[in-house]
Amino acid sequence: MKYYPAILIAALALVFSSAANAGQVALLNVSYDPTRELYQEYNIAFAKYWKAKSGDEVTINQSHGGSGKQAQSVINGLEADVVTLALSYDIDSIAQQAKLLPANWQSRLPDNSTPYTSTIVFLVRKGNPKGIKNWDDLIKPGVSIVVANPKTSGGARWAYLGAYAFALETYGHDDAKAKDFITKVYKNVPILDSGARGSTITFAQRGIGDVLLAWENEAHLAQKEFGADNFEIITPPLSILAEPPVAVVDKNAKRHGTTDVAQAYLQYLYSDEAQEIEARNFYRPRNPAIAAKYAANFPQLKLVTVDAEFGGWAKAQQTHFADGGVFDQIYQPQ
Amino acid sequence: MKLKWLLLTAVVGAQSGITALGQDTNSSSADIDALKQEVQALEQKVNTLEQQQAAQGSSAQSPETAQVQDLDQKVRVLQRQHELDQQAAADAAKAQPKIALNANGFSFSSADSNFVAQLHGVIQVDSRSFFNDGGGTLGKNTFLVRRARPIFTGTVFHDFDFVFIPDFGGSGPVIYDAYVNYHYSPGFQVEAGRFKSPVGLESLQQDVWTTFNERSLVTDLVPNRDIGFELHGDVFSGRASYAAAILNGAPDYITPVAPAQDVDDDKAFAGRIFLQPFKTSDEAFLQGFGFGVGGSYEDDRRTAADLTTGYKTDGQQSFYTYAANIVANGAHWRIAPQGYYYYGPFSLLGEYAISDQQVSKTTAPVASAEIRNKAWEITAGWVLTGENATYNGITPRHPFDPRNGQWGAWQLVARYADLNIDKDAFPTFASAGSASEAAAWSAGINWFLNRDIRIDASFSRTTFSGGGGTAGQGPITAKPENVLFTRLQLGF
Repeated sequence: MKYYPAILIAALALVFSSAANAGQVALLNVSYDPTRELYQEYNIAFAKYWKAKSGDEVTINQSHGGSGKQAQSVINGLEADVVTLALSYDIDSIAQQAKLLPANWQSRLPDNSTPYTSTIVFLVRKGNPKGIKNWDDLIKPGVSIVVANPKTSGGARWAYLGAYAFALETYGHDDAKAKDFITKVYKNVPILDSGARGSTITFAQRGIGDVLLAWENEAHLAQKEFGADNFEIITPPLSILAEPPVAVVDKNAKRHGTTDVAQAYLQYLYSDEAQEIEARNFYRPRNPAIAAKYAANFPQLKLVTVDAEFGGWAKAQQTHFADGGVFDQIYQPQ
Repeated sequence: MKLKWLLLTAVVGAQSGITALGQDTNSSSADIDALKQEVQALEQKVNTLEQQQAAQGSSAQSPETAQVQDLDQKVRVLQRQHELDQQAAADAAKAQPKIALNANGFSFSSADSNFVAQLHGVIQVDSRSFFNDGGGTLGKNTFLVRRARPIFTGTVFHDFDFVFIPDFGGSGPVIYDAYVNYHYSPGFQVEAGRFKSPVGLESLQQDVWTTFNERSLVTDLVPNRDIGFELHGDVFSGRASYAAAILNGAPDYITPVAPAQDVDDDKAFAGRIFLQPFKTSDEAFLQGFGFGVGGSYEDDRRTAADLTTGYKTDGQQSFYTYAANIVANGAHWRIAPQGYYYYGPFSLLGEYAISDQQVSKTTAPVASAEIRNKAWEITAGWVLTGENATYNGITPRHPFDPRNGQWGAWQLVARYADLNIDKDAFPTFASAGSASEAAAWSAGINWFLNRDIRIDASFSRTTFSGGGGTAGQGPITAKPENVLFTRLQLGF
């Protein structure tokens, strides 16, 4: 009984402290390399939406880099409230290694927590001087390919699996032939950046290579940034269905007192307004009506999935990108 | 053939240039620029050749053109690889632990700043010279190491701070502060361990930044360090701070000689609110104004250990103690309104304190009384060299460097303080020789050689009146105390 005053003081202090800081909230979105422009536009829309809904001002800070590197940063203590990474394996790593969110995180939002999709296309120089139309054109002598390091970049992992999936489809799922194909592809890669944005700079700004294996949205952005007269986008007949997922980092958000706004931030990615923003930034929206509206921006192609072709991300990661995996076996720095 | 030789020269030049890049980063930019110029010159030649070929009706790419393009790509790849290597090196450097050594001490930090350890320290070498004390005061003219404290602070897992401060300046090592602070946010922090009780303004000021060698008489009436839990924080952008603590309970200001031991089951409550309403104002003359109030409450149970071991003069002589058969017995509360004003080189700090304690005499004839002691002080300062005075010290604009005519910062300081013992303490509860009032004025000059080194000199005169306990004036209180203090301080 005699400690009631102390407990009361503590409770009042907590309320007082919270009240003193009410009205403003900040989120940290840790994302992969090419989403800067998407989230810059989306954050403005969400802040407006959240202000109208809750009355609070929300400031969203962004952090971008190679998806694998970003996941490792969160595991090492980067205090992300939400992660919007290139592939589910990277968020699984955060869940498994740092226990910052539950293992079933992907089931908490629609479409396996993937509000938009994308794929891997080819960005070539104007006139496509090397005549690159499909994945097998990449292994021709004299073709120089620019792509990021799949050890650190999510987009590069999608690109690698896109090429591998093409080989499996082409050679009747003969894994030895597919491995030989991917070896030849990476023999034509003179340099590996750590992230997708870096490889865009290498190709478009530094003038290296004949073809950039790029996220579809990144290819469009490169055209926009560096001149549509200088580059062409080639969509191969077959590529990989890239599904970049999103998740609240529960423990960080709880500690920051941002759980509600973080959840709303991700849920709003499925809203009509957000789906329009995603489509305008050349991410393939989930909403069928909005996807139809922007159909001209997204050529039809055969899209294979990691689950169907590689048995899921965990298996694909272990087989191809873990230390000593296929990539380590076939890639020799030049 | 001429073009071929030119191309071969370019290859050799490019490759040797890139090799040099790895060896000498400083020359890399110049080398790369040179290579770029060479490549551009070659491209121009190729363009000219291509135009000539086009004019001649030839559509096929000449071998020379292909070779130049191939070389161009190789140079570009080498340049880009160099950029990526530099970036990777920069990223790796960011991931390394950081070590810093500067005026704020030694600091070690993990790359992500989640783990930080800092080493600070305080050494104070004092002298006290008592004048005209032959007939009365017992002060000894002496040199002493007043404080010798390594200060270990740090942060673990981002939100948990720790402080550990032992002192080696006395007869043996004593732990002054040892606590862990969890900071959820600036406005909500919880501290546990041994720390300063959140009551007195002067008491809470860091030892290295007090105006005089010793704190004033008003600090005699507030608790010093205690053990327990404290909830505290700064809110409204630092314009308000609060602290609420539950503690073992401590007597009026004493210097701990050992980790405080609780003497009863009851706990003390202490709290403080301090406001700086104009801290973020545009009006500079208002920014340094702060005021607040601290207080505490404890129910003491028949123990002499809850009574002060003696109210001290500036010269650290006890001028008032309770008699041997007196115990604390009942409520003990304190209240301490306080404030300061800092504007440019001017500083003013004032505090008033009441310590009200129920006491009993345990031997016949038994007696009880409520003893309400009061004290106040006011301290003013002026930095002659113009630097800003603050509650957290003075930073000289021109640190001491006589070779370049720099002499640090100089501050004149003055203080008046008074402590009044409740008249009901006499003659039953006060010890023989205790005075009922002490009044002290002090003046001095402080020389801040730099942020870390300080030399002080001050004079303090304390006069005593009343009291006398059961045996009249004692040797300490019979005559005024006159003390000249000096101090050499290293604090970082």
